[in-house]
Amino acid sequence: MTTTLAGGRAARRQTMRRIRPRRSPAVPLLLAVWAGAAGVLWLWWRNTPAISDDTGRILNAGRITGLLAGYLMALVVLQMARVPALERRVGSDRVARWHAMTGRYTLCLVLAHVFLIMWGYAAQAGKGLGDIVQQTVDSVNQLPDMGKAAIGTGLLLFIGLLSIGPVRRRIPYDAWYHVHLLTYAAVFLTFWHQLTTGNDFAVEPVARTVWYALYGTVTALVVWYRILTPLRLNLRHRMRVEAVIEETPGIVSVLIGGRRLHRMGAEAGQFFRWRFLAPGMRFSSHPYSLSAAPRPDMLRITVKAIGDHSARLRELEPGTRVWAEGPYGALTAQRRSRGKVLLVAGGVGITPMRALFETLPGASGDITLLYRANSTQDLALWDELARIADERGARLMYAVNSPDGERPDISPETLGRKIPDIDRHDVFLCGPPGFAQSVYEALRGAGVPARRIHHESFEM
Amino acid sequence: MRKSHPVRRAVLAGAATVSGIVLLLSLKPASDPGSASAAGGAAPPVAAQSPQGGRGAGVGTVTGDAASTRYGPVQVRLTVKGGKITGAEAVRAPEGGQSDRVTADAVPRLNQAAVAAGSADIDAVSGATYTSAGYKQSLQSALDKLEEAAGSAGQGGGQGEGTDGQGSGSGSQGTRTLTGAVAQTQYGPVQVRVTVSGGKITGAEAVQAPEGGQSDRVTADAVPRLNQAAIAAGSADIDAVSGATYTSAGYKQSLQSALDRAGG
Repeated sequence: MTTTLAGGRAARRQTMRRIRPRRSPAVPLLLAVWAGAAGVLWLWWRNTPAISDDTGRILNAGRITGLLAGYLMALVVLQMARVPALERRVGSDRVARWHAMTGRYTLCLVLAHVFLIMWGYAAQAGKGLGDIVQQTVDSVNQLPDMGKAAIGTGLLLFIGLLSIGPVRRRIPYDAWYHVHLLTYAAVFLTFWHQLTTGNDFAVEPVARTVWYALYGTVTALVVWYRILTPLRLNLRHRMRVEAVIEETPGIVSVLIGGRRLHRMGAEAGQFFRWRFLAPGMRFSSHPYSLSAAPRPDMLRITVKAIGDHSARLRELEPGTRVWAEGPYGALTAQRRSRGKVLLVAGGVGITPMRALFETLPGASGDITLLYRANSTQDLALWDELARIADERGARLMYAVNSPDGERPDISPETLGRKIPDIDRHDVFLCGPPGFAQSVYEALRGAGVPARRIHHESFEM
Repeated sequence: MRKSHPVRRAVLAGAATVSGIVLLLSLKPASDPGSASAAGGAAPPVAAQSPQGGRGAGVGTVTGDAASTRYGPVQVRLTVKGGKITGAEAVRAPEGGQSDRVTADAVPRLNQAAVAAGSADIDAVSGATYTSAGYKQSLQSALDKLEEAAGSAGQGGGQGEGTDGQGSGSGSQGTRTLTGAVAQTQYGPVQVRVTVSGGKITGAEAVQAPEGGQSDRVTADAVPRLNQAAIAAGSADIDAVSGATYTSAGYKQSLQSALDRAGG
């Protein structure tokens, strides 16, 4: 270490040179998705010479919705294939929101498709809308692969119902998650009728090949990134619980040892999905951020006891095997541009901020951490933070409720007073949704551009 | 972290999708010339309209099934007099843009050729390959209906109803033509006619088979194979053609019914 952390123009230039902001590939990806949808519509356009009457219109509307649903279904699965480009560059939280949005939309398309096609068939047979149920029963019984498709659609509908906000909040996460895995079965079941009864696929062998390629690619990515990659990771690094430390009442840190952990390529600000092979915890996997920069022999997570799983962490025995998947998340140093950085943490949202506070490149005075908690007792990891601030010449601030329970004032004015050049900062923000929203608005009010506020939220 | 508006987003997505689909549908040409016989593009095939029976001295018309082509459906109507084709016209033909010219050019020539040949064995008009193929297909279907009507008229005394499939003795050495009952399938009716000679099936053909869109291909592929299989097996115990599960099932059903009639 020849460069000193304590300033100097040359040193500052050098640290800045190490910052290479990378753009999120979200825009090109979205363009590709739209192009694919246009291709699907073009396929329909090519194979439909003319539509002469209302029956034709109904049937063709059914075909369009069906083709689009078939296309989007593949993308819905792809979004959850844990492809690194999506998880680490776009951000797991954003991809998860895309997934939920696309999933809802696709399910609506599927239902519209079923309704329109069955209505069209009934109309073709000279029957009215009232016979649609009978027509559906007949078609399921008679058309090839329609039995499978009906079961698959039923599953999708069930999964969709369980994912509606109020329903989902009422069932345990693990149950919901495992039911959600049935989507794979549902997609498999509904795949075949697309090829055997789909007009466009029967007429165009090329279209059939493209469809096989689309679904084949998605399957390969799922198998690779959801099964083989974690398998390899865990066989290589063999992680175990080293120790469990109580930081503050209700917040524990878990130290996890393993072999050559630096080879996993984890960065400060990222998280893993952790599964602890202890009785009662084997079947659930939860995302927790690294609360310290990864070391070759040690990782650390810091967790607040909110749910069942996080409460049980304190009882973990040293030596317990750990199964991890990751690293995921895009809230890393790559997000920042070349300027000063403000880190804002709310409660246990301190964990990724703590790791970033330690590792973000920057000269003395470049990095500021604002830590919000209910009381000073709840400022977990405070001693470490103070030490890092001291070593790096970084600024550390906290905001807690006053003794009578009044919330601290985080507004554009107070932020501007504390950090006069706040509009020239990149802001990393992590905390509960309400807190994050209000801080976001305060930051915008203080003149921080939206593209320089980096935030990760797992709220749907 | 802009504020999200889930309801607004859902309404927008729904409206965009619906209007997109409506736009796509409305941009497609409706190749319906508005003639009475063409009402209902995908409706069940128009039955032979031959009140006097095909082989009588009277005049009748018979309309073939619509044949889908890449540029739109083609449907042929024949005027029959004394068992001979005296007129042919296309009640439906591709239209819109370039198709109007092609149709104006090709259809009169195809009509002439059909009358001259008295069969569907006519040459395609160059530059109108698809229309010609559709024309021939619909013409063949009209001729089939004509023959069918003639057959049943001969047996049943002018009840111009071909669907019930009545055995018509042609009078020569126990060679009989038997038409099976119509079997309804998802894609349309299938009806099989077999020629039985000396207790053996010597010929099999489908007088009705699914058509339109994908069905045309499936039918073109499956029916000849089913015909062969029926002749080879001498029974309705034939294998389904893969990719034509439905048509095969209907075919077997109608074939069985034809054979039942042969037995009875």
